[in-house]
Amino acid sequence: MMDNETVQIFIEALKEEGIKMVVTLPEDPSYSLTAAIRVDPYFTDITVAGEGHGIALCAGASLGGRKCVFMTGIAGLLMGGFALAQMSSLYAIPLLITASYRGDIGDRSGIPSGTLAMFNKLAEPFLQGLRIPYRIVDQKSRLKGMIRDAHFSCRQYSSPIVLLLTGEVLWSNG
Amino acid sequence: MVKRLDCLKLLASWMDENMFSVSSLSNNAREWPSVCRQGHHFHNLNMGMCLSFALGLSLAFPKRKVMALESDGSLLVDTSSLVTLADVNPSNLIALVFDNQEYGKMGPTATSRRADLERIAHGAGVQDTATIRTMEEFNSLVKGAIDSSGLKFFVIKVERGRAPVGDYLRTDGRAMKELFLQKLISHPDYWGNEKVVTVNPK
Repeated sequence: MMDNETVQIFIEALKEEGIKMVVTLPEDPSYSLTAAIRVDPYFTDITVAGEGHGIALCAGASLGGRKCVFMTGIAGLLMGGFALAQMSSLYAIPLLITASYRGDIGDRSGIPSGTLAMFNKLAEPFLQGLRIPYRIVDQKSRLKGMIRDAHFSCRQYSSPIVLLLTGEVLWSNG
Repeated sequence: MVKRLDCLKLLASWMDENMFSVSSLSNNAREWPSVCRQGHHFHNLNMGMCLSFALGLSLAFPKRKVMALESDGSLLVDTSSLVTLADVNPSNLIALVFDNQEYGKMGPTATSRRADLERIAHGAGVQDTATIRTMEEFNSLVKGAIDSSGLKFFVIKVERGRAPVGDYLRTDGRAMKELFLQKLISHPDYWGNEKVVTVNPK
């Protein structure tokens, strides 16, 4: 699970970018972050019941100029694939997405090994197939800059951008 | 049952330049642009996306009315979006689900059998719901919703078949979005009008 230091860096980065709206379907590795956001009055947090409509919701808000982020994991990206394809290829709508990189090499979170392997094999090819730009963020020292850059570039590209969180950013023991 | 096009014509007469609409694909995407000249419209969202996209737009423009023109087949793809809709409970969103009980000519939807989208929405937590079967009900309930505040969810039982309104707009996808965005940006309450920092601050 994400440690307190990373949670604070993450929240600072969102505030510095003016990102007040956070949409998520809670998942285990980033739960400490979404829990902290939920009690912070700076944020409007929305817990969705499905990733596909969460992405559509973010896209509508983002097109309306709201600065928002969709927080999910690899399973959520896969679930939201059709929505991502539309918001990326069909409509070109800027969207910042952070995703816990479940299944990355070294993931010892305890989910079944077959699921780990599936996520590992599919995550990056999936994003490549959708032509969605992404970066892997595995160092705390780079987290704030990556959020800032991805938020800037998604609007410049008019595209979703995904930050895949792993390593010491996602797991407190690195 | 009512005719979708009759409802849309009436709805169009109530739209103004401060209102937005988002429509699902198929008949809504063909018929709505043929009758509506006022307001700003995002057309032809694919299955399961319309309601949630409209919800996001309603959060971006909390002082404006946003109309979601959904359809039974599209909403049935993702009924969990109704749970999110009820949780967020925006005061400026009106959901109109045109329920013709079929996937075009491909056959009936579940609403032709036992599924009841109004009850599903109510069960998900949407408080203000109704099923509309006459033009009088449409006139009264939808106009009343436009003139008041609060999330409203209406299922409108419409006749099957296509209205003779021509084909889809030629302006679809990215081009349609850009036209829509240009209109959004022109509004003073558009959130994204701050200057973009082009010098890397690192």
